[in-house]
Amino acid sequence: MAIIQTDKLTKHYVLGRKKFVVGLENVDLEINEGEIFGILGPNGSGKTTCLKLLLGILFPTSGEARIMGRLPDDIEMKQYVGFLPENPYYYDYLNGPELLLFYARLFSIRPDVAKKRIDELLELVELNNARRLTLRHYSKGMLERIGLAASLINDPKILILDEPTTGLDPIGCRDTRNLLIKLKQQGKTILLSSHFLSEVERVCERIAIFHRGHLLATGTLDALNKQYQAENLEDLFVKTIYAFDNQEAVKTGEPK
Amino acid sequence: MKKMWTIAVNTFRESMRKKTLYIILIFALIVIGASKLFSFLTAEEELKMIKDVSFSAIEFFGALIAIFASITAISTEIERRTIYTLLTKPIRRSDFVLGKFFGVSLIIFVNFILTTLFFIGLLLFKKSIPDIEVFKTLLLIFFELILIGGITLALGTFTTDAFNIICSFFLYIVGHLTSYGKEMIERTENIVVAGLADMLYTLVPNYENFNIRDKIVVGISVSWGYVGYTILYGILYTCIVLLIALYFFQKREI
Ligand SMILES: Nc1ncnc2c1ncn2[C@@H]1O[C@H](COP(=O)(O)OP(=O)(O)OP(=O)(O)O)[C@@H](O)[C@H]1O
Ligand SMILES: [Mg+2]
Repeated sequence: MAIIQTDKLTKHYVLGRKKFVVGLENVDLEINEGEIFGILGPNGSGKTTCLKLLLGILFPTSGEARIMGRLPDDIEMKQYVGFLPENPYYYDYLNGPELLLFYARLFSIRPDVAKKRIDELLELVELNNARRLTLRHYSKGMLERIGLAASLINDPKILILDEPTTGLDPIGCRDTRNLLIKLKQQGKTILLSSHFLSEVERVCERIAIFHRGHLLATGTLDALNKQYQAENLEDLFVKTIYAFDNQEAVKTGEPK
Repeated sequence: MKKMWTIAVNTFRESMRKKTLYIILIFALIVIGASKLFSFLTAEEELKMIKDVSFSAIEFFGALIAIFASITAISTEIERRTIYTLLTKPIRRSDFVLGKFFGVSLIIFVNFILTTLFFIGLLLFKKSIPDIEVFKTLLLIFFELILIGGITLALGTFTTDAFNIICSFFLYIVGHLTSYGKEMIERTENIVVAGLADMLYTLVPNYENFNIRDKIVVGISVSWGYVGYTILYGILYTCIVLLIALYFFQKREI
């Protein structure tokens, strides 16, 4: 059975009486245990909305989302999940170890275990030299990295990352990619969103393409390329999105 | 429970970094200034003035801190989106709200203790030992401040900051005018109007109940029964607004 699952997941952002924006529309997703799954899509396609619904920050208009078979408000399930929000921002008056300790407490991790884990994680994301620096003085890439460390503090089974490589330089991107592969080898399930096609192409085993809240395609890269007669991910991306827009244009009778 | 405390401590730490301490400084200056101003009075009258000004200042600046700390407690987490990193952890939304409430209470408490110590120091400096009536007055002020914080926190779970500030200060003023309200209700002949006004009177937090300083300053003592009853009122009212806060925050999308 899938470890992360959505069933006709729909989110309409209500703006006023009878006015709403489609965030997500009827999305059925299945992510298997131990895989790296990438959600792709242009800006505003519903990637973040989908992740927020899974984690219970937003509530679905209809349909449901489940992680490990549990609904998003399940506290026990969250013990096994790590999350990195997009453009993460943290308590900027704390330094790296203090921030990680704060989150460790929220997971009820024993202080001695937490201390060891914090040292390991700071080493892992190469922030060990900046232990005393408060987050206010971090660069964008450093914030992204401390965010990644924070999302790993509970040694999660499932890692949900919203655009983990935004703001990272090429070396940071490569390091993150290698880290993700290493984490997968440890048996973790990783769900990430991104618009960096090349990143996704290199690490993700299966992908989903979102557009205007709709799930356009999902599957392994090879299978999708074959299905859409695409040469590579970029080609596939463009083809599926154009196909959808044309279809919509026909439906509504608008000239393209 | 421990997680709630973690959030409370973090809230407290954060506010200590902000300008809360300046408010305490202003408090000190006003009280010292006032006591200098009245030094032409007889020693006994001067003492009365010091008490009066200090009680009022502890209450007023405490209320300012309670309102602003409660507003920022939740809204900065949302504005800076740090709340995403909290609500995705294994904590209940109720732990978050209650953690915030205890954090704000801690801020109120520390500020209250600091200003009170300053006040008592001033009394001792003027060779007056604070008596039990002074203690009663301060105790009631403290519970009033906690109630003010709770109300603002609850409003913050479903309104905007601007509206919250207006509402909180409006209630602060109206809550202190309740005795006039009661009089007006008694004089009203129209039953419907009187009934509505009576309902409003019951709903509005009766901050004036917590104010015994006018009596204490002129030497009238207040019974422990009244003090206990008023504290109970404060605690009950606070619990009710916290339940309202939990209800709204449970459904809130961020
Ligand atoms: N709080 C909100 N209120 C109203 N509309 C919203 C809200 N949040 C998102 N939306 C809308 O929902 C749609 C999907 O947004 P979402 O943030 O999920 O996109 P995304 O795929 O993550 O985009 P990006 O790549 O830019 O991060 C967009 O049209 C957006 O305008
Ligand atoms: Mg996004």
